[in-house]
Amino acid sequence: MSADTNKFVIPIGPQHPALKEPANFEFWVDGETVTGASVRLGYVHRGIEKGAEARTWVQNLYLMERICGICSHVHATAYTLGVEKLAGVEAPPRAQAIRQIMGELERIHSHMLWLGVAAHEGGFDSLFMYSWRDRETVMDLLEKISGNKVHYSANLLGGVKFDITPELAAEIHKGLEFLDERNRFYLKVVNQDETFIGRTRGIGTMTAERANFLGAIGPTARASGVAHDIRVDAPYLKYSEFPIKVETHTSGDLHGRFIVRINETFESIRVIREILDHLPPGELTARMPRRIPAGEAISRVEAPRGELLYFVASNGSDKPERVKVRTPSLCNWSTVLSLAIGLKLADMPMLLTGIDPCFSCNDRSVSVKRGTQDSSMWSWEKLRQYGIEYYR
Amino acid sequence: MASTIGALGAVEAVLEPLAVSFNRPQPERLDAVIRPDDLLTAVRTMVNESWGFLSAIVGLDHPAPAPVEGEAEVEGSIEVLYTFCKGAAIAILRTTLPYSQAVLPTISGLLPAAMLYEWELREMFGVEVIGLPVTGHLILADDWPDGLYPLRKSFVGFNGEEKSQ
Amino acid sequence: MVAQTLDSSWQGVLAKVKNWARINSPWAIHFNSGSCNGCDIQILATLTPRYDVERFGIKLQGSPRHADVLICTGPVTMQARDALLRTYEQMPDPKFVIAVGSCGLSGGVFHGCYNIVGGINELLPVDVFVPGCPPRPEGIIYGVAVLLGALKSGKRPEPIQWSGTGLDGVLHTGSKLEDHHG
Repeated sequence: MSADTNKFVIPIGPQHPALKEPANFEFWVDGETVTGASVRLGYVHRGIEKGAEARTWVQNLYLMERICGICSHVHATAYTLGVEKLAGVEAPPRAQAIRQIMGELERIHSHMLWLGVAAHEGGFDSLFMYSWRDRETVMDLLEKISGNKVHYSANLLGGVKFDITPELAAEIHKGLEFLDERNRFYLKVVNQDETFIGRTRGIGTMTAERANFLGAIGPTARASGVAHDIRVDAPYLKYSEFPIKVETHTSGDLHGRFIVRINETFESIRVIREILDHLPPGELTARMPRRIPAGEAISRVEAPRGELLYFVASNGSDKPERVKVRTPSLCNWSTVLSLAIGLKLADMPMLLTGIDPCFSCNDRSVSVKRGTQDSSMWSWEKLRQYGIEYYR
Repeated sequence: MASTIGALGAVEAVLEPLAVSFNRPQPERLDAVIRPDDLLTAVRTMVNESWGFLSAIVGLDHPAPAPVEGEAEVEGSIEVLYTFCKGAAIAILRTTLPYSQAVLPTISGLLPAAMLYEWELREMFGVEVIGLPVTGHLILADDWPDGLYPLRKSFVGFNGEEKSQ
Repeated sequence: MVAQTLDSSWQGVLAKVKNWARINSPWAIHFNSGSCNGCDIQILATLTPRYDVERFGIKLQGSPRHADVLICTGPVTMQARDALLRTYEQMPDPKFVIAVGSCGLSGGVFHGCYNIVGGINELLPVDVFVPGCPPRPEGIIYGVAVLLGALKSGKRPEPIQWSGTGLDGVLHTGSKLEDHHG
């Protein structure tokens, strides 16, 4: 493994293939220091890209949504935009605006979820409880609008399923007021709590150059000052008419990532208010053909975790030829693997959480390898506790 | 839009000597067809130009068409799309590999993020990526049968018995 | 010292005490077998102040060796299969399984995809299914309550007759119920 900062080599898998356990991560350690890191994704591999080829265009709306329960709307939106591009159809302005509102509400829910989870990883359980209690407000709003707290299924090919009435708009405004106030409180905590700062400042620092070199995206990169955001770089939906300000920070560390996400929440609240006050009138759907013309389309949207890219190819039939999904977390994994080296094992839970990886927390298993000994398997819970104890 | 058109013009200019052909399927997108042997040079050119970032590597399976009487058999192929994005502009390097010669050099030395994408390409499509610094599976289970590439059209899934054993 | 042989009446009392302890304070372990996280965040939400299941004595903790109930989500991917089986095997008897979400019932939207097994009951005897995509936290708590209610009466949950459009209209509990040792 090279110590050269420009080269990036991940140590190759197991010493003894026969003894390999299905760990999600592998850390090689020397004493307390991490000397190497590797990853196994695929715990949640369901075969969706293949499954998409056997389902109709409409069925795939529901399949793509369920790639991730936390950012389901943005997946469905990216898919829908790709298919609409192929069909040469543009959804009506009101539908685009509603899609944008749902997307930003989802961003709020995702960032608050992350805030709680990240706090929990660091041992700040009260912050976890508070943020998840407050997050119920945004889930309530999503449920009032769509009928479900998760998997809102707002999108139809060609438009949206439901409207936002003035009464609903008033409820949303009320909810946003509460969320705004609560997030100001969280920003204060993040900036003032000593223990919290101790576990986040200076951890996982990534310069802008390194972020660019490693291909980091989303809030992880923006915390290092890399001002990329698809909503501004390549506006979609109604982001040209209702733009957002790109939130960045300069510290590039875990603390900065907290700040960026909370600030993005404020921006989301602001832009939702703006759209609600200027909701374009008109239809909710446009006509779509059942058979989508042959061709290829690429749609890129800004998921809460960064750029989400969909490549959709049609062969002219009622089922896709190919749907390729490149999730933002895949880009950011490389940054973790590279940044882990030289840090302490106790920092790993927080470092990993910093990129907001999109999978469930309780069952990741970790393989820790000291020197030439066989690796010992740690549960995620054990690693998390280890980190908390270390910094006590 | 002007900056997008400008960016596409710039990348077209630098890829001119290498590209077999260019195509503009959408206003914001440029496709450049590259020979497999020229891939590494093309990627290096993009990196030297600091043209955007590598957003994805997409694999497309083109199975062999049904044989036609009297004509030579056409082999199936895998097309690999190196998708670079700069702002709203998208530049794709497309290269096609016949099944019998599905080999590419790794670009992860130039672009570390490519490693995960190439790893996925290898196990989903069976493209051999020379120099890829990892072995084993990234996404598929350890006991996944060798030589079985899920995203090739020839793979149609397991039948009921095999799955629930 | 008298050998610690327990006669049948003491066994009965002990069983009642254990049962009472289990019903009033079941320890649950959560396992994600490849779900999209939708169900998992709803399960986690049951711990948060709005629902707060801990006040009912339901404790979600990390080790299978101390768990009475396995709350499982997901369509069981090939990678998760062995880990799920191992987790189940590590739980002491008597143990119960709650499958949460459509994926846990049948694979959900992923039914037929190559890397999943399908419903959790393809692998384990499931006592309670909580349908939904994802189910609301209230639904999940109800599922746990159904399990506890059945335990109180000393037997496993009964199939619930439900008539609805579409399917055959019957919501069953685990198909391998009969051959599972209590």
